[in-house]
Amino acid sequence: MFNRRPVIELAILLALSSISVATRQRTAPATDATSRAVVAAEAFLATLDQSQRAKANIDLNEKTRTIWSNLPVGTTMQVGATERNGLRLGDMTPPQEKAALALVAATLSGEGYRKAMEIVDADEVLETRSAPTRKPGAPIRFGRAFFYVSILGKPSTTDTWMLQFGGHHLGINVTLAGRDSVLTPTHTGAQPATYALDGRTIRPLGEENDKAFALINALNPEQQKQAVLGFEVRNLVLGPGADGKMIQPEGVRASTLTPQQRTMLLELAREWVGILGDEAAAAKMKELQSGIADTYFAWAGPTTIGKGAYFRIQGPAVFIEYAPQGQGDTNVDHIHTIYRDPTNDYAARMTKR
Amino acid sequence: MRGAWAAATAGILLALSASPSAHRLDEYLQAARVSLEHARVMLEIDLMPGATIAEAIIDHLDRDGDRKISPLEADSYGQDVLRDIVLELDGRPVALTMADIGVSSLDELRHGIGMIQLRASGDVDPRISMRRELHFKNNHQPGTSVYLVNALLPSDPGIKVVAQIRDAKQREARIQYSISPRWPKHLYWPVLGAAALFLVFRRSKSIDR
Repeated sequence: MFNRRPVIELAILLALSSISVATRQRTAPATDATSRAVVAAEAFLATLDQSQRAKANIDLNEKTRTIWSNLPVGTTMQVGATERNGLRLGDMTPPQEKAALALVAATLSGEGYRKAMEIVDADEVLETRSAPTRKPGAPIRFGRAFFYVSILGKPSTTDTWMLQFGGHHLGINVTLAGRDSVLTPTHTGAQPATYALDGRTIRPLGEENDKAFALINALNPEQQKQAVLGFEVRNLVLGPGADGKMIQPEGVRASTLTPQQRTMLLELAREWVGILGDEAAAAKMKELQSGIADTYFAWAGPTTIGKGAYFRIQGPAVFIEYAPQGQGDTNVDHIHTIYRDPTNDYAARMTKR
Repeated sequence: MRGAWAAATAGILLALSASPSAHRLDEYLQAARVSLEHARVMLEIDLMPGATIAEAIIDHLDRDGDRKISPLEADSYGQDVLRDIVLELDGRPVALTMADIGVSSLDELRHGIGMIQLRASGDVDPRISMRRELHFKNNHQPGTSVYLVNALLPSDPGIKVVAQIRDAKQREARIQYSISPRWPKHLYWPVLGAAALFLVFRRSKSIDR
């Protein structure tokens, strides 16, 4: 007679694995950071009237989440949209703007919020410089008023939703899914990259630049030969609009770096990872650490600090580019960067579970 | 909040007297991405003219001079670009067919923030080979252009990019890659399922004995 035992064993095994999958599908409980973001999002939405709320809080779907760019207002974005999601700061009352920025601050780390606002301030400087020579009726605008805050989906401690904060040279995209929050893809940039405000010199992306030059100069000649690409790279390869694409890694592999050099590489990546709050950043840094052996560092341009150079960090769960725009001595004053995760942009990994 | 910002703005020092344009002025940035497939090569090129050279590009695009870019004019410009691209696989020319072209508004192009997005593909013989070499060269507007060219990570796990050798300006690249034999994806699960059933059946038979 046919023995059913092995078949029953197989069925039990399959049933157990289904239970295990089902358990993982439940969203993990929210952290305090998510709860704070939800409270801040609800507080912001409560300051808005109905029509403002309809603009500020939109559906989260595969199309809406991709609407962000490096470009200024008045231009068509790479994805074809002509306006960012959400409400712009210039259309908010002071209490609304305060609540909007409190939401951004609640979602990012202190350092991340500072960086974002310094990029906003740089664009205000650019607006001040541009306005006198702007042709009447020109649609392109720079400045703080043209930065948008948007909530995609319903703020929740269990379900997936998103915060976008963006304008010219800024595209912060935070996807929150229970205890997980994911910053990729995110764009930062700056023009001017150095300016003075209240007697202080501000460099929104100064640490990124300085840490990268320190790392390339900490490599020995053989490592540097591997890292330095033999050609110029004059822009981001996978900038805004290039979602879902990934290029072949190049440069020096971190498995050949010393522990100290690897630490420098991770600390450089932290400039992007650390835009998010401590807990999310710590989890991401752990992921980068575990994939460090398969991470590459590539460089194009001079290695003398003060000059403009392109660099890229690419690993199993990270893709970062830093690209000065233009050429010659002026390229250090106009920077574009991109931060992606080939495995988890828009929290794809969490939402797929 | 606004008052504080206004006060802060007043303190901003304007250090630069250069052009306030946000983007490169006198360069035509042409960024190419190459997708390698078993029997096809796909090419995406984003072309971004700077503000001071945009009028020349607009003149090229706007053949009838009506200050509008019709689909026909966009298509015609795309064909001109493709004629300037050299694409060869293992020394043999790959004929490119344009799949799509998108052009920003004339205003955006004039301000140096517009883009022409071109997508094309070419069929290649699906040979399994330890090493193939794709030669790419962009001869479009060499006088004013800066270039990028990169191979995208192949979606087919059987295709591996081995090396990308470029010239100093990234105008030209030799992309070396290998193709290993592949199992048709639709056969994975049926074969795996049949193997599992066979093992269960064998085990039940042996227990019977």
